Amino acid sequence: MEIVVLVKPVPDAESRLRPNAGGTELDGEGIKWVLSGYDESAVEQALLLKAAVPGSSVRCISFGPAPRTEEVLRASVALGCDRATWVERPVGMPADPLLCARVLREALRKYPHDLILAGKQAGDDEEGIVPSALAELLGVESFGSVVDLRWHAEEKRFRFQCVLDSGSEKVEAAGPLLIGLQQAWNDPRTATLPNILRSRKATIDRLPWSDVAPLLGAFSAGRTTSQRFRLPPPRTGARLIDYQSPEEAAEKLVKILREEAKVFP
Amino acid sequence: MRPSVLVVGEAVHGQLSGPSREALNVARSLAGSEGRVTGLLIGHGLAAASAEMATLGTDRVRVVEDAALTSATCSTLAAIVRAEVEGAQVSVVLLTGSVRYRELAGRLAARWDASVATGATELSPTEGGGLRVARPVFGGRATEELDLGGPRCVVALRPHAFPPASTTAPAAPVERRASPPFPTGNAPAPKVSALESTEVTGGPSLGDATIVVSGGRGLRAPENFRLVEELAASLGAAVGASRAVTDAGWRPGSYQVGQTGRSVAPQLYVAVGISGAIQHVVGMVSSRVIVAINSDAQAPIFRVADYGIVGDLFAIVPALTKEIRKVRGLS
Amino acid sequence: MPDFSLTAEQEGVRDLARKFAKTEMLPKAAEADRLGRFPEEVLRKAWELGLMNLNIPSEYGGSGLSLLDQCLIVEELAHACGGMTTSIIANCLALEPILLGGSPEQKSRVLSPFCGSYNIASFCLTEPSGGSDAGGLLTRARRDGDHYVLDGEKCFITNAPHASLYTVFATTDPALRHRGICAFYVPRSTEGVVPGKEEEKMGHRASSTSTVRFEHATVPVSQRLGAEGDGFSIAMRTLDQTRTPIGALATGIAQAAVDYASEYALKRRTFGKPIAEHQAIQIKLANMAQAVHAARLLTWQAAWTIDHGKTGTLESSIAKCFASDAAMQVADEAIQVFGGYGYMKEYPVEKLLRDAKLTQIYEGSNEIQRIVIAREHLKAYA
Ligand SMILES: Cc1cc2nc3c(=O)[nH]c(=O)nc-3n(C[C@H](O)[C@H](O)[C@H](O)COP(=O)(O)OP(=O)(O)OC[C@H]3O[C@@H](n4cnc5c(N)ncnc54)[C@H](O)[C@@H]3O)c2cc1C
Ligand SMILES: Cc1cc2nc3c(=O)[nH]c(=O)nc-3n(C[C@H](O)[C@H](O)[C@H](O)COP(=O)(O)OP(=O)(O)OC[C@H]3O[C@@H](n4cnc5c(N)ncnc54)[C@H](O)[C@@H]3O)c2cc1C
Repeated sequence: MEIVVLVKPVPDAESRLRPNAGGTELDGEGIKWVLSGYDESAVEQALLLKAAVPGSSVRCISFGPAPRTEEVLRASVALGCDRATWVERPVGMPADPLLCARVLREALRKYPHDLILAGKQAGDDEEGIVPSALAELLGVESFGSVVDLRWHAEEKRFRFQCVLDSGSEKVEAAGPLLIGLQQAWNDPRTATLPNILRSRKATIDRLPWSDVAPLLGAFSAGRTTSQRFRLPPPRTGARLIDYQSPEEAAEKLVKILREEAKVFP
Repeated sequence: MRPSVLVVGEAVHGQLSGPSREALNVARSLAGSEGRVTGLLIGHGLAAASAEMATLGTDRVRVVEDAALTSATCSTLAAIVRAEVEGAQVSVVLLTGSVRYRELAGRLAARWDASVATGATELSPTEGGGLRVARPVFGGRATEELDLGGPRCVVALRPHAFPPASTTAPAAPVERRASPPFPTGNAPAPKVSALESTEVTGGPSLGDATIVVSGGRGLRAPENFRLVEELAASLGAAVGASRAVTDAGWRPGSYQVGQTGRSVAPQLYVAVGISGAIQHVVGMVSSRVIVAINSDAQAPIFRVADYGIVGDLFAIVPALTKEIRKVRGLS
Repeated sequence: MPDFSLTAEQEGVRDLARKFAKTEMLPKAAEADRLGRFPEEVLRKAWELGLMNLNIPSEYGGSGLSLLDQCLIVEELAHACGGMTTSIIANCLALEPILLGGSPEQKSRVLSPFCGSYNIASFCLTEPSGGSDAGGLLTRARRDGDHYVLDGEKCFITNAPHASLYTVFATTDPALRHRGICAFYVPRSTEGVVPGKEEEKMGHRASSTSTVRFEHATVPVSQRLGAEGDGFSIAMRTLDQTRTPIGALATGIAQAAVDYASEYALKRRTFGKPIAEHQAIQIKLANMAQAVHAARLLTWQAAWTIDHGKTGTLESSIAKCFASDAAMQVADEAIQVFGGYGYMKEYPVEKLLRDAKLTQIYEGSNEIQRIVIAREHLKAYA
């Protein structure tokens, strides 16, 4: 089975978040970039399938700028991916999800595949747009929030579960498929020290932007015309709710949690 | 000019879903009185849901109904939405943020080369005829704002971030549409089972929970801790405690939040009858939104909380649990 | 100008250690400390990830890291737990004599199978009669045909109860002092090798320490490392290699202390403001930060010197001595910043002080380090 895993560098969960000088996006200064959490699960799942299906191989692909993209590809190789492809995004070019999907489609033309795995969403922007946009461009079925992904060799079909809002669905489908993974069978593994050292010497296949750009055709990247990045204002003490009865207090609080704080489940 | 908006709604067990009502509300405020709001429902057994949709500020409702659509894949849903939108004057497509419908955003945008955003918690029209969207990123630790340009925008809303639409009269016309032929490639179509409800057992663990409700000494006795647990259950939250509670043995040490217990950083932290000693606060201060319920207006917890109710927890908490259950449609 | 930036490879190695420390060690550190429990499962996991036999070349199944890379790892591990770190790196200490004194044949016979699976080794130098004066050790090695018979007792031996292999220093004749000492490798299975019971310690309580007795233990000559009389030099050259990572271990403890203290000082309020805004606390934190930076730089410099083929006796002694003294001062001040809470076992800082203390004592006490530093230093003036 030929498996492709889409991976993305995101700021480490402990990074301090700050807007840049223009307030338009995250200030990259001092940020440590790591493999996005759900992508780690996707890599783990790919490696588990590879071990379960003899003759399989796993290629990880990422579209992004130097140097962090190359670093997460090396991290994926250290985890056990056989090959890696880095599609270079010029430093400073905005990370548009549709552009990313188009670029990945071009890259994927080079690699025959039975299964494309991705994390169900990225750990930073939490958009989840790229996998389904790519599936649309490729004309393949896609499923998100997948757990328990298995391959049934006799029927040549994948079986898995989609975890939806109010329950789950069991799905059986043949490849090629695009799966947005929620969880692998195991917690993602940790790369061993020898594999980390070996991954430094691994060849990363590079697709320069100048090779990819002409393939994209007429396409208006940057439909997102501007962008801002803000942090919640510092806490200045609680806003106290005034009320006449407990019921009124409850009603007011729920309304605030829904409409203002936007944290109501 | 106000945009024309298509809302792709969803029915769950035959009823219009809460997030669909919210999307209809957003759609109407975007469209104003000039723009047109079309509601679309796809699936099977949609009579009740479409009738309700017709009364929630829509100008018309379209229903694509077929038994085979009960568990339609994302690509099928996308094909149906496209058939509705292409050729029509629709500049904004609003999706509910449920797992499956959010996935539609990428598919539709890729087809149309449209501006796209998911997880929107704020939405307003811009001067240039586009949309300004705010969306939480990094697990709610920051917010990103995007300006989406026309001619067509696709936006998936974050569930429960907007108030639901209110009922209007008269009801809009409901039109049944034939299901377009499903796209079939060479591969056999995927088989998708009917939705199985997952039993909620035990609730989430402290570390992973997006909501945590913690109780403190203010509960006075171990049997009263039930109030905190019921509130947590209504929110699908994990339960935590101050050290006063774990030391007294009301609950095991694994419940303790704080410097020498667990550190948690959920989206919402509710502190009930907890004074807010620094040893407790350092374990929960990174939560996105903090609510405190305490009878002492001077309690330090109100310095770190975002919202506070000063009052007797024995009155407030049961009322709050009841209200939440009502709003969430739990019996 | 020296270049202090790390390569991407070094960052990858350090990130692995940091992740391991945070996810595998830290959650167990307080409990292991309280119970004095040797967390075997943590060491096994460390071995699986290649974090155990750091100094052994990869041809023998080790990780083959430079001393600087070893230091990067050790500092990260020690940030989570000094005791576990001492036990994790004890193999490096125990196997170094084989690297330095073993023939190619001995190395492949012993090291490859040893490193190829989870195994523990111990370095047996110190004796009850005296640790600092290693030349005066009393464990006897009597030659008897093609083997030696070992008799004597070693003490304070890290990991001894769990080890399957010991490197042992013994003398053919105490009167010869340094010149009579031989080094051996001795499998635990050898008859007459008897590890003692666990010591109860002040700190490093997750590490295991005991005596090892040799009662007529028969060891073939083929297990002697180097020539008869080479033992003392092998021991000293071993410590020249392993002293610097002790500097890194102390730096890790000190860094943890300054991290805890700084986070706490920003949150704890007295007199209407965070204590980090009181100047007395700021001065403490500034001094702590300086000590940690200096300790790390001295450690890196010593590692760099040795990696560049020099013995680095002066540099490694300075690094070990300075960093361990810094760890004690910084851990002490961290407790002070925490006030009464710092004195409570429920908080993590009092453990740091107890753990830091050992770094001034073992692998050559700081008094001995100062003797070495003075001797090396004065050479330039003599
Ligand atoms: C070494 C050490 C480590 C510690 N570590 C932790 C830790 O990790 N986590 C932790 O939580 N604590 C810890 N503490 C304890 C901490 O200092 C506090 O003692 C503890 O948090 C207090 O718990 P509490 O807020 O539940 O109780 P209290 O401080 O007694 O507060 C009870 C609150 O309930 C309110 N109340 C009473 N009746 C009502 C009512 N009817 N309705 C509404 N409100 C009411 C009161 O106004 C009061 O504010 C530690 C202490 C030490 C010394
Ligand atoms: C937890 C732990 C783990 C250990 N692990 C190992 C191990 O794995 N293998 C091993 O071989 N050993 C190990 N040791 C032993 C350690 O290396 C010795 O304790 C150390 O070398 C000091 O020896 P000593 O305890 O006999 O003290 P002594 O040598 O008796 O020294 C006592 C005091 O006198 C000072 N002193 C001694 N000589 C001089 C001098 N000439 N001038 C000035 N001051 C002097 C010392 O610095 C010290 O302060 C360990 C010790 C401990 C506590």
